[in-house]
Amino acid sequence: MNTTDQRQMELTLPMVPDIEIAAARAAANLARELGMSPERIDEMTHAIIEACINAREHGCCDDNRIYLRFVGTSEGNGSRIEVWVTDRGSGFDPEEARSRRAAPGTAHKRGRGLQLIEAHMDEVDISTSKDGGTTIHMVKYEKKS
Amino acid sequence: MTEELKVSVDRKSNGAVLYTKGYINNVGGEEIANRAYELMDDGVRILLLNLRETKIVNSIGISILIEIIEKMMDQGGKIAFCCLTPVIHKTFQIMGLANYAAIFDSEDAAVKELRLNN
Repeated sequence: MNTTDQRQMELTLPMVPDIEIAAARAAANLARELGMSPERIDEMTHAIIEACINAREHGCCDDNRIYLRFVGTSEGNGSRIEVWVTDRGSGFDPEEARSRRAAPGTAHKRGRGLQLIEAHMDEVDISTSKDGGTTIHMVKYEKKS
Repeated sequence: MTEELKVSVDRKSNGAVLYTKGYINNVGGEEIANRAYELMDDGVRILLLNLRETKIVNSIGISILIEIIEKMMDQGGKIAFCCLTPVIHKTFQIMGLANYAAIFDSEDAAVKELRLNN
């Protein structure tokens, strides 16, 4: 019989330099408790770091906060973590951000945070609107072999 | 909260190895750039960055590394990296660094390939 273990955590963080590290460490601790491998955890933490930087860059608003929610699930066949990174800022255009990317593998200085998020996570969706803020929802899985 | 990056340098007769410890973000990237530009001003044209003690990078820090690579290439030199974690290696490939700078698994392999002398 398979048992399911679910953990949830919510954080509200100030938009201050390097606060993304606090978010990444919290997520990494949750992932370790669920038995996720170090390499998958590293990929997830790098994506969370980029999402928090995106919130700082595009989410400038009165409350200056980043809202994070984590839901981790461990089952017999593996583990899964969902992460929501939300700001209440002015939003951004994901398609415009994607259009600024150079061809894959060519050095390009900015606008690659979203590309890194999408490369390091298994699922990503973004909801954003002018004055309505932005939520980046990301999922990382690990199946046991 | 701050995550200060520490940088140390091992100067070789024909180049240098630069060791980083900590988070490569905008501040850390600038710290690496300052040390790299000092070395370039001093004539160094072969620079190896050993990231053995760096576990986290972000896209802003990497953009600064790309600027260092471009400046070194403009001066006819070359930059290489070694001892990357798997996720940093993957990130460098996505960001395009791997097209302009060699990446080695170990410092020994890099020193041998770059012919860095003691």
